[in-house]
Amino acid sequence: MPHLPSSSSPLVTIKVDGKDVQVPGDTNLLEALQAVGIETPHICYHPYLPVSGNCRQCLVEVEGPRGMGLVISCYTPVKAGMVVATPASSQRVKSTRKAVSEFMLVNHPLDCPICDKAGECTLQKNYMEAGQNESRLRGEVGKHYHGNPDNEFVDSKGQTRGGKRVDLGPRVLLDEERCVQCDRCVRFMRHVAGDEQLQLAARSDHTYITTFPGEKLDHEYDLCVTDICPTGALTGKYFRFQQRVWMLSRTPSVSMDDSLGANIWIDHNEGHVWRLMPRCNPEVNRSWLSNTSRLAFEKFAENRLPASDIESVKLALQTQGKVALVAGGECTLEDIVALKMLKASLGDRAEIFVGSFRPVVAADGIAKSGDPVANRAGFKLLGLAADNLADLVKRASEFNTLMTINNDLWGDDANQAKALEGIENRITLAAFNTETAHKANVVFGVNHWSEVTGTMVNCNGILQKLSAAPTAPDAELIPTFQALSIFAGTPITEALEAFKVASKEVPVLLGLSYETIRSTGAKLDGVQA
Amino acid sequence: MMEIINSKHWIEWLLIVAKFAFAFVPVLFILLLIPMERRGAGFIQDRQGPNRSYFWLPYFGRIRLFGWVQNACDGLKLFTKEIYAPNGVNKILFALAPAIPFVIVLISPCVIPWFAPMVFTMGDQVVRVSGNTVDSEVGILLLFGLSSLSAYGAVLAGWASKSKYSLLGGLRTSAMTISYEVCLGLSIMGMLLMVGSFRIDDIIAWQEAHVWGIVAQPIAFFCFLISMIAETGRAPFDVAEGEPELVAGFHTEYGAMQFGLFYMGEYSHIGINSILVACLFLGGYSVPFFSQTTIQANMGYSLAVLCGVFILLILTFLHMIYRYSRWYKTSAATNKTVILREYSLYKLLGWVAIPALAIIGVASALFIHPEFTLVDGKAVYGLGIAFGTALIQILVLLVKACFFCFVWIWVRWTLPRFRYDHVMNLGWKVILNIALVNLVITAVVAKLVLGGN
Amino acid sequence: MVRQIKQTPMNWVERLYIFEAFRGLFTTLKHFLRGLFRYETLPTVPYPEIKPEIPRDYRAKHRLMLRPDGTPRCVACFMCATACPAHCIYIEAAPSVDGRIEKRAVRFDIDHLVCVFCGLCVEACPVDAIRMDTQDTSYVHRNREDFITPMYDLTAWDPKQYPQNDTQSQVAPGGSKNQQALEAWGLKVH
Repeated sequence: MPHLPSSSSPLVTIKVDGKDVQVPGDTNLLEALQAVGIETPHICYHPYLPVSGNCRQCLVEVEGPRGMGLVISCYTPVKAGMVVATPASSQRVKSTRKAVSEFMLVNHPLDCPICDKAGECTLQKNYMEAGQNESRLRGEVGKHYHGNPDNEFVDSKGQTRGGKRVDLGPRVLLDEERCVQCDRCVRFMRHVAGDEQLQLAARSDHTYITTFPGEKLDHEYDLCVTDICPTGALTGKYFRFQQRVWMLSRTPSVSMDDSLGANIWIDHNEGHVWRLMPRCNPEVNRSWLSNTSRLAFEKFAENRLPASDIESVKLALQTQGKVALVAGGECTLEDIVALKMLKASLGDRAEIFVGSFRPVVAADGIAKSGDPVANRAGFKLLGLAADNLADLVKRASEFNTLMTINNDLWGDDANQAKALEGIENRITLAAFNTETAHKANVVFGVNHWSEVTGTMVNCNGILQKLSAAPTAPDAELIPTFQALSIFAGTPITEALEAFKVASKEVPVLLGLSYETIRSTGAKLDGVQA
Repeated sequence: MMEIINSKHWIEWLLIVAKFAFAFVPVLFILLLIPMERRGAGFIQDRQGPNRSYFWLPYFGRIRLFGWVQNACDGLKLFTKEIYAPNGVNKILFALAPAIPFVIVLISPCVIPWFAPMVFTMGDQVVRVSGNTVDSEVGILLLFGLSSLSAYGAVLAGWASKSKYSLLGGLRTSAMTISYEVCLGLSIMGMLLMVGSFRIDDIIAWQEAHVWGIVAQPIAFFCFLISMIAETGRAPFDVAEGEPELVAGFHTEYGAMQFGLFYMGEYSHIGINSILVACLFLGGYSVPFFSQTTIQANMGYSLAVLCGVFILLILTFLHMIYRYSRWYKTSAATNKTVILREYSLYKLLGWVAIPALAIIGVASALFIHPEFTLVDGKAVYGLGIAFGTALIQILVLLVKACFFCFVWIWVRWTLPRFRYDHVMNLGWKVILNIALVNLVITAVVAKLVLGGN
Repeated sequence: MVRQIKQTPMNWVERLYIFEAFRGLFTTLKHFLRGLFRYETLPTVPYPEIKPEIPRDYRAKHRLMLRPDGTPRCVACFMCATACPAHCIYIEAAPSVDGRIEKRAVRFDIDHLVCVFCGLCVEACPVDAIRMDTQDTSYVHRNREDFITPMYDLTAWDPKQYPQNDTQSQVAPGGSKNQQALEAWGLKVH
């Protein structure tokens, strides 16, 4: 893996285009130039993949013993006193990059109008920055693909074309003629996923991407290859032809699927979530996102609970006997604040339980921590016992009322939840019409976590911010914290108000606000899950 | 009582009563003016103009009469619309205002001579019937007076509407009418000086004897015409309506038939003024190139010539119809069968009218031989010949008046509206002075050449 | 091209207005007499009965071009919808059933009440699938929903109404060059 610059990188002085600049000294030239704002077009280079250096798109001139020479900036370490020339000063770099771009596009089809990658395609971007060459193809021959001979075909214009719809696995399609053989996907599967399912076959311009014979691309992280693919060669079946990417609006958020809190973009259009994309966070999930978290959006708008009557929940809470408030991991810090307010309003007869019946599994080291209670560190931060569900199961007979908040007890493990069926008054506060909601006698629909603004603390003690995507299926729905605060009798309408209440209680949150939490989150000192 | 009745022959009484019908002639002009204005405006602006309203006849289908049916539709619409008034106006004055101009146009025609005084023998008596209802010595002044009264309608409407726009419109009307009354009176003075009488009959007789007023007093004619247009409140002097600044001027708040009365008043006013201009400057009812005695002496031939003129007009009309038919047959119009069916009615009427008129013309030329008796050295003919003469004279007067009606419309759709201060400048600084100079010159020339007293 | 129009000051005859007014009267009289005696030469036509001649390049109602086999040529690339300043084009895409073609539109609606007829969709189309040369300018419907023209309506045009030299229209089903087009596409000719 390339060594990436950080805040602790030593600064060295190099000469770029005749000017002395200070760059991080412990990284490669491409990242160093990027740190001072010089973008270098690249295709095969990816900051979280080993450097392969096969695309030659990132060429710069560097002074060596034999004068200025072209080197690939992604594989050249920064040295103090280097003399570097970029296209801004060197015509040679400019024309070479243009030639590389043209070479790469020789057999690339003119598919952009129907290509799902168009709009976020590295090849397109590089063409606009470094290429812009006229086609020099002979018209009577046109494109002449000669990669995988199995899927070749000759189209009505007489051009030899590569396979357009090669089924690599259950989730990924390959378009062979769009592939530029950067081998990012191969390196991802080999070095990140640790399961080498993809491979380059054949040599030189016959090279093509394929799986081993009889094997399929099937891995928890296989959709990441569609993200890192610089062209539209690898596309996810779930997003195929659904939307053009420039029509999507992006909302930065955090996946509440597990306690790592993978950073995501919620890509939505016309009130509908079309995909979740990993949002790069070097400390959390880097550029990766598991299929589970990524495809979770397909269920976001399905099987939702409608907004219902506040008074009925209030009435149900007024009954005699003890109340068990069972919060799930999807509760944000704001929800927890409101939950504590509800408990305070109910007095001694209420007790908060936190946890999930789903087991904690081992972290996979990529983008999953394995803990289903996403905001476990947040519960601890606000002074709640974060794993006392077993306690509730033992003492179930003490309680008269069970209120589950974003916690699908029966759906997670019906056997363990059976012990709670003795509690006759059951209230469910959830986004979905889950098994638990079926068991409840009062249900109240709230916003899903993708539709709320809030914060969560992940298992590494990083405070991360969720932003609300305007995708709620019903405008009447309110966020969990708002519902809880209404039940408590002190309505809070803005998430920021609840966050301020939390920051009064917890000293480490003091001084933080939604504006000061960076997109990569804020590391809270001394907080651990 | 009986003395008064016996003082005139019964036919004289009958004609005096019948002449009241002439009061409605200006109102009938509306029927001519509205299609003329709307389709004329269309043609001037290269449009079609309204030509869609029709009534239905069996076999011939939709009869559109080239847009004349539009009159009936407009009237029907205005009559059936709700009459309303703005909140808080004086209801009586508000309702009274539109009636004033309309009442005046019913009164005004009384002094207009429609034909030369009829003199005919009835038995052994010689009967003389004047061409106007009121044979006044100061006919022209009476007409001016009545005409200027119509400004009261606008002023009253402007005041009673309780609207700033209406009030401004009414004020402008009053100022402009008063200004142009002066010009109107002074520009006609030269003509009156030469004639030496205020009686319209005398003015026409002078023109018949000498030369038309337009030749004798061309400058006076133009001053008179411009002042007349201004006094009617028509474009380019319609600052009282001035829709860019005053919405619709004095009739902003009026709708339905109240608005219709204003418009009928305006169009009738145009009719009266056209007749007046024809009387003062175009020889009125006098037939050009033929004196009254010639016509009376050759009544049969005169009627034959009249029929010939009609036949020529009908032939022209038929020619146009045939040309349109030919064009419609080759055009891609989807309604051409309907149009051609309608045109077949006009063709039928035309081809029936031509032989009928030809027979009448030939018959009158062959069989009418006027007989006369000499009274005071003048030939006096019978009742029939007198009626024939009057008919020809009325027709001549109406033709001349129609020409001026067209001038009104023509000017309106050609010249852009004057600014209000320009209107007043033109009235007081230009036309008034020209009229005065013209009067002085006429007086001097008249004294020197004609040698009057 | 910049054309400079010099304004000459009016001479005294023009400033008198009356002579210029007569000139104006003469002009309007000519037009009036033309309307009266040469009615059929009026430049205006009675509209619904006689339709005005609309040139081919007039931006009229849209149509979707067709392949020789009758499927819409549209590849659902959304370029028109993206270029559309009025956002009046609604497209839903799906994988094509034809092996040679990747993507197709399953829904292609144009809301003609929203459309501003700027023609940018035609300019944007990379496969010449949308055109505005139908010469159809009148849209009369009973309710707003009917103005949303669906794909089957946009593709329902007759090649016979388009000139022979309009090759793209003539290679569509029913066109005079359809046979040749089918051969070029390697489809069976019946």
